[in-house]
Amino acid sequence: METGNLTIISLIKIGILIIPILILNKYFRIKLNKKIFYAFSRMIIQLTLVGIFLQYIFDLDSPLINTLYLLFMMTVASFSAINKCSLDWKKYVLPILLAFFLPNIVMIFYFNKFVVNLNNVFDTQYFIPIAGMLLGNSLSGIIIGVNNFYSSIKENEKKYFYVLSISANKLEALRPYFRQAILVSNNPTLASIETMGLVALPGMMTGQILGGVVPIVAIKYQIAIMIAVFIVRYFSLILAIFLTGYKAFDEYDVLIE
Amino acid sequence: MLEFKDINIKFADKVLFNNFNIKVRAGEKVLLNAPSGSGKSTLFRAFLGFQRINSGEIIFDGKKLAKNTLNYFRQNSCYVSQDVDLRNEVVSELLKEIFSYKCNKNTTIEQRKVKELFSYFDLQEDMFTKNVKELSGGERQRLGLIICILLNRKIWLLDEVTSGLDKKMKEKVVEFILKSDKTVIIISHDSDWVKNEMLRIVRW
Repeated sequence: METGNLTIISLIKIGILIIPILILNKYFRIKLNKKIFYAFSRMIIQLTLVGIFLQYIFDLDSPLINTLYLLFMMTVASFSAINKCSLDWKKYVLPILLAFFLPNIVMIFYFNKFVVNLNNVFDTQYFIPIAGMLLGNSLSGIIIGVNNFYSSIKENEKKYFYVLSISANKLEALRPYFRQAILVSNNPTLASIETMGLVALPGMMTGQILGGVVPIVAIKYQIAIMIAVFIVRYFSLILAIFLTGYKAFDEYDVLIE
Repeated sequence: MLEFKDINIKFADKVLFNNFNIKVRAGEKVLLNAPSGSGKSTLFRAFLGFQRINSGEIIFDGKKLAKNTLNYFRQNSCYVSQDVDLRNEVVSELLKEIFSYKCNKNTTIEQRKVKELFSYFDLQEDMFTKNVKELSGGERQRLGLIICILLNRKIWLLDEVTSGLDKKMKEKVVEFILKSDKTVIIISHDSDWVKNEMLRIVRW
């Protein structure tokens, strides 16, 4: 099977189909057109830049550049997580960075070496896309879980204090909030794993098939990557809660505002 | 046994305590009587380390409240808060959890004792299978009190534990607490406490 390369003309051909939507929005006075222009323009610019950048990185195929790029992505992910969780970045940048770093680094090398059996674990074709998928999932897992953890302690401050007063043990008093955070963060992943293939074809698999890979190989990659994603997401969150937890409470176990 | 010494607590907009002093002897029953908003609950919270004091000392069994003595304070006291802040959970599970905490592991609960307390405080045994959310305010208060009694600690800090109870039950609760050999500090606006002679009333 040969892959039809898309040309600019192909993109314009699909793009013109948005025009009826713009007209309908105008007709029904749905205030969406500005947003549509903004969103699609941004996407085109961002992806073009990424495309140029990735092409460059693929051509170089250098372990050092790939590692630097991964570290850069992790830093961006950390700041994004800190921002979305409304944490003080000066205080939490190191814990969150570590929470991304440890599980993702271990997984990417394990995956490339033992699952894909690559001789060169830095092989750009694998290293960059797999790292991207893993990191994206760590990010959403940490955001959901850490947010849930701290906001439910804040909301239930009195209940937390009560347990603290009868247990005299921060870890025991925090256990229910910890459990809850892990559940809330993992439930969406499990739900999407559960219905995978039934409702929609996963993005990575679709991409691989369009790129010319036979379906039976594509599903094996999909299964492997979903397992990797699940594991990395789980450990990133646990690490994020433990490492931020060291700094989030004062010496009397009270959550610092 | 317990002493609050020269306590100062200031919030941004007001001074709650200005050189406040109180001493409580072992076995004593003390009622704190002061208008709402005058910081009675804050004293309890300060004792447990949930509210920082600006200056002064809290001394319990000869130990001054600090980072390294905090656990002694928490492990030897039992606090029943105004709303009885129990986590929403099936009652029996909640009890199981509370008595599985490391510091409570040596406290054995005898089924007989639990049954006795339940019947004394007029609670049905089907409450064990209910969720905390389904309990009425008065039921929660009595459950909080029973947990406090079962934990068998030196000092009880009871914040409005009778407010949601009917007249007869109030009297029973008051009688039970005053007869116990524990040191008890009570915050309450109920008149059932005040008329009792065993009680020392501290007003400010």
